[in-house]
This record gives sequence, C-alpha cells and structure tokens, in this order.
Amino acid sequence: MLNGFKNPGRIALIGGSSEIGMAIVTQLPENKSRQVILVDRIGEYALDVTDKAGRERVVARLFDEGDVDLVVIAVGLLGNNTELSMADNLVAAMEVNYVGTVHLLELIAERMKKQAHGQILAISSFAQVRPRPDNFRYGSTKAGLDFYARGLALALDGTGVSLKILRPGFVRSKMTAGMDNAPFAITVQECGSYGVRALTSRRLVTWAPSLLKYVAFVFKSLPPMIFRKISSR
Amino acid sequence: MSTTSSSEFSGWGKNFQSRSERVALSSIDELQGLLTKAGRGRGFLPIGLHRSYGDSALNSGGTLIDLSALNTISIDASTGVAVVGAGVTITQLERAALMHSLFPPVVPGTGFVTMGGAIAADIHGKSHHRTGTFSACVRRIKLLLASGAIADYTPEDAEFWATVGGLGLTGAVLEVELQLKSVKSNSADVTERRVKNLAEMIDVLGGADADFEHTVAWIDLSGDYRGRGVVSLGNYGATSVKSKDSNSAGPKLPSIAGKNFITPLSVRAFNEIWFRKPLKNGPVALGKYMHPLDGINEWNNIYGRDGFLQYQFVIDIGKEEIFERLFAGLRSLKAASFLGVLKKFGEQSQAPMSFPRRGWTLTLDYSTKVPGLEKFLQEFDEELVAAGGRIYLIKDSRVSPSLIPAMYPELNKWREIRRTMDPTGLWQSDQARRLHLC
Ligand SMILES: Cc1cc2nc3c(=O)[nH]c(=O)nc-3n(C[C@H](O)[C@H](O)[C@H](O)COP(=O)(O)OP(=O)(O)OC[C@H]3O[C@@H](n4cnc5c(N)ncnc54)[C@H](O)[C@@H]3O)c2cc1C
Repeated sequence: MLNGFKNPGRIALIGGSSEIGMAIVTQLPENKSRQVILVDRIGEYALDVTDKAGRERVVARLFDEGDVDLVVIAVGLLGNNTELSMADNLVAAMEVNYVGTVHLLELIAERMKKQAHGQILAISSFAQVRPRPDNFRYGSTKAGLDFYARGLALALDGTGVSLKILRPGFVRSKMTAGMDNAPFAITVQECGSYGVRALTSRRLVTWAPSLLKYVAFVFKSLPPMIFRKISSR
Repeated sequence: MSTTSSSEFSGWGKNFQSRSERVALSSIDELQGLLTKAGRGRGFLPIGLHRSYGDSALNSGGTLIDLSALNTISIDASTGVAVVGAGVTITQLERAALMHSLFPPVVPGTGFVTMGGAIAADIHGKSHHRTGTFSACVRRIKLLLASGAIADYTPEDAEFWATVGGLGLTGAVLEVELQLKSVKSNSADVTERRVKNLAEMIDVLGGADADFEHTVAWIDLSGDYRGRGVVSLGNYGATSVKSKDSNSAGPKLPSIAGKNFITPLSVRAFNEIWFRKPLKNGPVALGKYMHPLDGINEWNNIYGRDGFLQYQFVIDIGKEEIFERLFAGLRSLKAASFLGVLKKFGEQSQAPMSFPRRGWTLTLDYSTKVPGLEKFLQEFDEELVAAGGRIYLIKDSRVSPSLIPAMYPELNKWREIRRTMDPTGLWQSDQARRLHLC
C-alpha cells in the first residue's frame, strides 16, 4: 500500500541498472519502510527482458512475495550497436522496448488488479512523436509501447491501479554517451525528478522537460514539407 | 439477503482510497456461508463505521464485511448488563442505557463507533485514568472464527485478549456483553479551566485524577506552540438536562472542490476563538460532553481531497521533555493542528495490542500536505520509541513497520494466538499488510 502520504513502500525497478530508473527511485520522498527490488540482468531477481518465461517468472515472484506499490519499467535499447546490422538492431530494440516491456506491463497490471492498488510508471520517449529519418526505428518501438500504455491506463480505470507515462527527450546518460546533445537536453537527475512528479500528477503523460509538450505539438502540426526540412538537418 | 457492492473506501482521514468489495449481511448464517467460499486470496475484514483514521478498516482487493445489521440491544436493568449486537453504535447504546439510568463506562470522542470497532481498537475515553479501556467493562464476546465456527470468549480466554485491540484480525465480533454503570442523570457536571502553557496543563490535568471521573485537555498547537489550552474536568451529574437528539441532525461540512481549508492561518484564527470562548461550568448533556464534534457531520471534509492524518502517541510520565522537542519541530514546519488533545492515561489492559498505558497521550491532526511532515514524524517516531512510547495503530497511516515490535513488545504473543485462531490467514487488512502485523 501507498502510505497515508501516498508514498510507496515496496517498489520494483525493472531495469535495475537504468540510470533514469535509479534517478526516479532515489528521488522519491524518503520512506523508512521502503524496499526497492532491482530487477536486472544479474542479481537475485535476474531477468533477460527478451525471455518470455523469465518475465512471467519474475513478475509472479515479485507479487507472490508481497504487495508491490510501484513498478518502474526502465528497460530500453536505442538500437545503435555498431557491431550489429541495422536490421538486427531494430529487432533487438523491438524485443526489449516493445515486446518485453509491453508483456511486462500486461503481466504486472494483471497482478496489480488483484491487489486493487499500485502504480506503474512506463518510460516512453519524445522520439515517438513523429518519425524522423535518424531515429524512426527506435521511435516506432516507443510509439508502440506508448500506444499500448495509454490504452492500458484507460483499461485500468476503476481498478485501483494507476499507470503513468514519462516521455523524456534527450537525456545525457550512458545510453546517449557520444551522441550530440539535442535541444532541451536534460540530466539523468532532472529526468528522475520529472518521473517522480509523473507519479503524483493527475495527467497520464509527463514530459521531461515539460516544455517538450509544446514542442511535440509543434512537431505534429508542421506541414510535411517543412518537417522534412527540419528533421533532415 | 446480503448485498455486495464494489467501490472505493477510505478511513476517517480520507488519505487512503482502497478498492474492495463490501458485503452487507443480514444474518450470521449468511456470513458463515460466505467464509466457506474458497479462493479469496485477499481475505475478509469485519468493519464498522470507518471511524478509524487510516487503513485499519480497509482491505484492497478483498472483502469488507459490514455487520451493521447486528443491531439489537438488550439491557437487564436490575444488573446493568447489556447484550449488544456488533453493529450497534456507542450513541445508540448510550441512549438505550440512559432510559434505565445506566451509561457505558468507557466512551470515545465520537459516538459513531460500533461495538465491533470499540473492541478491535480497545478504545479509551476521558475516563481512562479511572475505568481503563473499553474491554474493562466487557464480560463476554461472541466471535465468528475463520473456520466458520462461532465461539464465546470471556476475559479468562487468551482469544478474548487477542481480539481486544486485535484490529479485526482474529475474527468478526458478533455480539458483546458488557457491564453498564449506573448514573443519576443524563448530564455531566463540567468544570473548564484555561491554562497558559503545557507545564500548567500537565499540572492541572495531573492533579485532577482523584477528583474527576473525566479529564481531558484541548491544546493549542499553533502560534507560539507553547501549548496553552483548556482543561475540561467532569463527573457524572445529578441534575438532568434537556438534550436534543443530535444524531446526524447537525450541519454537514461540504467538501468544496476537494480543497484543504486547514492552513496555519485558519488554524490560528480558530484556535484563538476556541481559547477565548466562555468556559463551561455546570451540567452538560452526557452525549454532548462526550462527543463534542458529533453535531457536525463529515467534518473530515475540511482537509480536502488529499485528506489528513491523526497522530496519537503515549509516553511515560516523567518523559514530558519529548513534548518540547515535538512542539519545536512542528513549529519549524509551521504545522498547525486544530484539534490537539492531551489526556493522562491510567493502567494498561491485558490485551497485547491495546494502545493505552500509564502516561500522557497526545493527539494531533494534520493535513498530509504539510511539507516535511512525513520525514519529521518518521524521526519523531524513533525518538518516541527510544523513550519507551508508542503510537495508536487505529489512527496510523504512515509508521514504519520496523518500529512496531518495539512499540508493542507483546506483538509475537498476539501473533501466536492469532495464528491458532486463523491458521490460513483469512482475516486481512491493508494495515496488517503495510505493517506486517500477522
Ligand atoms: C472524531 C473521532 C473521535 C475519536 N475519539 C476516540 C477516542 O476518544 N478514543 C479512542 O480510543 N478512539 C477514538 N476514535 C477512534 C475510533 O474509536 C476507532 O477508530 C474505532 O475503532 C472506530 O470504530 P468503527 O466502528 O468506525 O470501526 P471501523 O473504523 O470500521 O473499523 C476499525 C477496526 O475495527 C475492526 N472491526 C470493526 N467491526 C468489527 C467487528 N464486528 N469485529 C471485529 N473487528 C471489527 C475493523 O476490522 C478495524 O480494524 C475516534 C475517531 C473519530 C473519528
């Protein structure tokens, strides 16, 4: 249960080594009874996100051991591994960002519905706003996730479970190391604090930074001709 | 026929929203039938009127059993013994008892508490220094066990004491037999005194035990946080007074767009008026004296959508310096409480999970939106435990489970008895899960 201050006690961070996930969890208001379970490639709750049976096993275990108040799903692949072909990178990103994450969301929502309380935070991306030549592959995996999460949030209405979506723009992290800073770039810590805000927000979607909401609106409204020019730059 | 509905429930503090099923039962047979249905992972919890502040009477994803249909009262006027259904409220019992010049010896600050809730919290009133807790006047309880069996328990039985203060986790109380006290009239003779600060309050309250059956103080924890206030002392009176039935007839405080109206400023203004109000001296109707807030319905709405919490603790006599630290901390947070209550407790009951024990008990209400309050209370809890104090679980919504064994040293004893009464863990609550009680 969230306590009387709406502060979660037992938390699972899926993608335990994700910098953004960690920045969210560590910036939650202090709670002496907090227990954070890290689900990662190695460790006690080891999970390869691309392994279906593994996903089922880990989710079952998390909930069998007690109520889970908050799950942050922070796994993600950019799909820019230079040792892989473009096509293989795409498949890898699809398997993690879409198949694995969406399946996890589905399993977690099922279990949370039984306990009739709980929060889920899914991390989408600004990249899913509109396809651009440089990142539409990654963007499409996040667009799928985002679409599913918005639907799931509706389906969870009235169950006591709530789902929130964080849509970060460019976050300076290990994942983006070596890439050029995009406009509106934020630090991992900043992104984490937007994640914390997302949890108490009444809105389904929180942008990080908030300004991206308007940028996204402009992006979507631009006529194709102009958008093509801007995005090919 | 039973009725089942699924919706969102809150305790009195409205700081939890918990979804569950609620079954209102019309008979005990029906209830037994319900329990034997298999496959309910989230269990059952008997409830009263949700006057508990936090999550004691919530069971997310499970089933709440509403026993308000058990509403019979029978009183033997010659012995003063009453046999009362679990759904009967304190106010209903008081009214029935007064018709025979009797009164329940222990009543809480609100009359909207059921017999079941009174047992499960082992409630106390202004008379604690004389009478002890509610269980002191209880001679027998009828309990529905997890197995579906029904058993009578008396103070000779360990099961009796596990159920007293047992937060609904040992079974559903169906009926209570209790000893009423004879009174000469329907009034209390009340004397009120204004005091300048905490030291004076402690002095006056502490010295009043021998002469007064009912003692309590209202304390102003706003402004300079020195703890000025009004001490209220009373005895059962001899002259009857006219009393209007205030049951749900009073005004209702609306919830205006879910906004919180409790701010340091509004609290200060309210407390100032309260402090200056004319002092009572003379007879006051017992119902009004015992339950001053019951004339205003749903006053808990004034804290708005996010709700509030009540923090009540007890600390040994001689450890009063902890109040100074508490007040200083609250002052620096600008946390203003508009309902501080100080009371001196008498002896502890035999129940392992009963809250009251000899010492001072202080009760404060706060909006959950006071910045820094959560952290401060976490730190204060630790100081409290180090000083040998504890908090009242029926009011709690935020304590750390790791502190419970120190606060309630007989927790394990209670757990063992509970386990024999409910080996499969049928009775569950959000609070029990949050605090790992079972
Ligand atoms: C304004 C106000 C003033 C108060 N003043 C005092 C006071 O002076 N002293 C004091 O001690 N308390 C006080 N309280 C707290 C109150 O007495 C307790 O919270 C009480 O338990 C509420 O009873 P309820 O019938 O509403 O039960 P609920 O709040 O519905 O349930 C409380 C607990 O009782 C259990 N329970 C309910 N019915 C049964 C049953 N039939 N069998 C087994 N378990 C059951 C529930 O499972 C739960 O654990 C006050 C509360 C308010 C709102």
